[in-house]
Amino acid sequence: MRTSTSPTVAVGAAAVLGTGATALLDLGLLAPAALAIGVALAFAAVVLLSAPTTADAGSRIHRALVTPIALVLSVVLGLLAAAVLDWWLIEPVAYALGALIGSAGAFLVYRRLPTQLALAFAAVAVAGVLALSVTAVVLWVSGTDPFRAFGRMIEFGTRPDNLVRIVNAATTFYLSAVAVAIGFKMKLFNIGVDGQYRLAALLAAAVGGAWVLPPVIHQIVIVLVAVAVGGFWAGIAGYLKVTRGVSEVISTIMLNSIATGITAYLLNTDRLAVEISTNNIGTTPIAESGWVPGIPAGFMGADREIYGLVVLAVAVGVGYWLMLNRTRFGFDLRATGQSPTAARASGVNVKRMVLLSMVISGMIAGLVGIPQLLGQSHYYALDFPVGLGFTGIAIALLGRNHPVGVAFAALFWAFLDQASQILDIDGIPKEIAVVTQATIVLTVVVVYEVVHRWGLRYQQQQVGKDLGRVEVASS
Amino acid sequence: MSSTPSGGGEAPPAAVELRGITKRFPGVVANHDIDITVAPGTVHAIVGENGAGKSTLMKTLYGMHRPDEGTIAVDGTTVRLNSPSDAIRHGIGMVHQHFMLADNLTVMENVVLGAERRHGIGAKARARIEELGRRYGMGVDPDRLMEDLGVGDRQRVEILKVLYRGARIIILDEPTAVLVPQEVDELFDNLRELKREGLTVIFISHKLDEVLSVADTITVIRRGTTVATVDPKGTTARELATLMVGGELPVPELRESTVTDKVMLDIDGLRVTAPGGRALVDGVSLAIRSGEIVGIAGVEGNGQSELIEAIMGMRPVDAGRITLDGRDITGTDTLAIREAGVGYVPEDRHRHGLLLESPLWENRILGHQGRPPSTKGMWIDRAGARADTRRIVDEYDVRTPGIDVIADALSGGNQQKLIVGREMSGRPKVLVAAHPTRGVDVGAQAAIWDHLRRARAEGLAVLLISADLDELIGMSDTLHVILRGRLVASADPLTVTPEQLGSAMTGASTDTGAGTADTGGAGTDAAGTPTTPTEEDEGGA
Repeated sequence: MRTSTSPTVAVGAAAVLGTGATALLDLGLLAPAALAIGVALAFAAVVLLSAPTTADAGSRIHRALVTPIALVLSVVLGLLAAAVLDWWLIEPVAYALGALIGSAGAFLVYRRLPTQLALAFAAVAVAGVLALSVTAVVLWVSGTDPFRAFGRMIEFGTRPDNLVRIVNAATTFYLSAVAVAIGFKMKLFNIGVDGQYRLAALLAAAVGGAWVLPPVIHQIVIVLVAVAVGGFWAGIAGYLKVTRGVSEVISTIMLNSIATGITAYLLNTDRLAVEISTNNIGTTPIAESGWVPGIPAGFMGADREIYGLVVLAVAVGVGYWLMLNRTRFGFDLRATGQSPTAARASGVNVKRMVLLSMVISGMIAGLVGIPQLLGQSHYYALDFPVGLGFTGIAIALLGRNHPVGVAFAALFWAFLDQASQILDIDGIPKEIAVVTQATIVLTVVVVYEVVHRWGLRYQQQQVGKDLGRVEVASS
Repeated sequence: MSSTPSGGGEAPPAAVELRGITKRFPGVVANHDIDITVAPGTVHAIVGENGAGKSTLMKTLYGMHRPDEGTIAVDGTTVRLNSPSDAIRHGIGMVHQHFMLADNLTVMENVVLGAERRHGIGAKARARIEELGRRYGMGVDPDRLMEDLGVGDRQRVEILKVLYRGARIIILDEPTAVLVPQEVDELFDNLRELKREGLTVIFISHKLDEVLSVADTITVIRRGTTVATVDPKGTTARELATLMVGGELPVPELRESTVTDKVMLDIDGLRVTAPGGRALVDGVSLAIRSGEIVGIAGVEGNGQSELIEAIMGMRPVDAGRITLDGRDITGTDTLAIREAGVGYVPEDRHRHGLLLESPLWENRILGHQGRPPSTKGMWIDRAGARADTRRIVDEYDVRTPGIDVIADALSGGNQQKLIVGREMSGRPKVLVAAHPTRGVDVGAQAAIWDHLRRARAEGLAVLLISADLDELIGMSDTLHVILRGRLVASADPLTVTPEQLGSAMTGASTDTGAGTADTGGAGTDAAGTPTTPTEEDEGGA
């Protein structure tokens, strides 16, 4: 650990060792097991040959916590890479390449992983284990073998067609969660995402169905209508808050009810709706010029298509990150969320920020229904999915409002939703997935808070220690 | 609690005996190997600079937290104090620096609140309060409303509260910080009275001349441990200072005048009212010239905060004009005022000056969102902000391992140096500094004074507000006294004494060495009470 060979040598040795070991072990073991051992060996080589470059390297916490987490992360990285490569390549090659990626990852992660981030990963792991244990206990008490249930879920959830469904569901979840997260960053609780997206989707669908426009323009118009409606609907709550001091929690809940009323009123054959089938009415279907084609998922063996607008979700995620971390507006937003008093003293117009962030949150919320609308159903009908706004709240909490964290949380949530479908067939109540989802949100909130406080204290300790060292050195 | 007699001597046992007290907080040892013996019936002072560990020690003694090592003995008996109520049971009471009184209750209600079991809430309680008042010379009418009382009387009520609960040992945490010199004298008379009646007073302070005048014994704490216990008769403030900081205390002083005739900040007839229509700042006019430091003296809650907030555009102005270097900035928004060249060191750095959970370099951006090196147009300039944070850390001697550390991890003095450095960057024309050295250690205090002096020499105009009269007198070129939102007097810092300033601040007299500027209607109220700011911020806590 203390001998520092040149990084090139270290990464080279790790890669050779990891890939080689995996390829060899693959002859005798299951491929994932071989890969795990191979990457672990590579990780050991990295630990022996190089040293971490973070500030607190060598401290007890680094050895006890950061290093094991780095090991787990590298193995997971390798396994994921191999699973993806397996879609195109034969298994031994895919896993050898996966091991190569995992080994290189081991080098990077071990040297660069900051303690704070490691703590966040640890928090997720702890929360995950807790939630799974609770679910296992519930299953066991109700007389089902938890491991069989989990096994079935994993097997079913990773079937190619289901993977596509998961990605599609996660796309909507992600947009909804980002909308909520923008509010959370300002300490605003936008419960109204639900009403905002339903109203936005309905009006956007109506506009899209009423006109036939050239492709591209057609889609852009639909998206703009959705964004405008969502922003306007959330803006009402923001306006009430800054002018009348109405809590946004109350007003957005009310606005949800009003939105339900308005959609029910508008979705009537006398107004915006037409008969879709014998017992379903919806808006006039959007002409094909307004559709967004799906991405064929044949590469992973699926017949279904991934929503083309998954690109939109990625763009929103990148934009959210850029806005938050790189722009003045994002800085003001975070500052206001952290300390409204300090923000005001620094010249931030807090009321304006509240109104703007509420509007932006609503604009993103307006996008929630769009992937489904343009990619699949092409009309807003009675069976349009509801409740996505509330799912978004849970996912934003789970992903800790971080663009990447929220993405993983959305995928995980969608996986539980999708994989639990199999349980009914096996005679296990599929509501068990809801138990897992609920427990994980609860545990995550608690564990994050604990880890957050612990992290703050840890930083203070670290500063005290560093300064002590300086003073000793200078005296 | 467990009571084992400790080895007593022939003399009466010590009222309080602390042996080997060590208290660790994560990452810091706040107290270690503290040994203090407080003789009964004495005033025992504990002195030390900010951050030396005085308050931690007193919290230990008052049962607010348990020491990691060491023993506490009260009247010769070792005790375990798990909570303040344990401490009260052992006759230990504490008067906190910030008053904990309910403004809308009477004196008696405040005293009885939470101790109803002792003498009920009726005539018996009243009789007890009046008796205590007589005995210890702390007559306060039990039926007066708290909000009508001045700071000195409020403090007496706090002491009465402690006595009412049967305390024999009274801890006073920095009791003089909120008082003007005259009130300090009254407090000391009360303390002598308590001593005469056989009570023991533990008095925490960092003001050495006060300590020398009232204490029977002085214990000095430095860096969390007791370094000496001395007799005030055989020592001087200088020697104490040396013990306290391991060197000389910095002295606030200005050398030759750098005042020019170019007016940088001109305030004319400024009026700010509370939502109810009451004037918080009432017809304030003052001018600050380039190279001049103008100090404002006043008991807290007399409109200083509102004056500053009005200048900074954080509070609406009802009447009057504020002109910055010839440009009218009345009613402009805060960021524009800052960008026009006003730096701001807020009085509460945690609430107004910092994002505690953000790294130092992000704190550098705060208040500078609209200009280089923090931002480029709508984008945050990370490289620029980080480089400039490094400059501030170097130039202002902010002790930190790096600029990615969160602000909360720094000590108060280092946080304040960072704020001063940030506000001085971009070459402001005017600096509004509210309590710039409050709660910082002497090293940081000296450094901040140095920076103020240097910037003044370079032509900065400074509005200085402070509760520390020595700082005000030493660091100001011109001094004004504010009382109930009005500037009632101005004084020459070269000749005025803290006592004269104190009189003017309480409205007791406005014609001492301080040249009277504007006596107006602000003097005594109908009841004839000379002191009382009508609104005391800490009162409601």
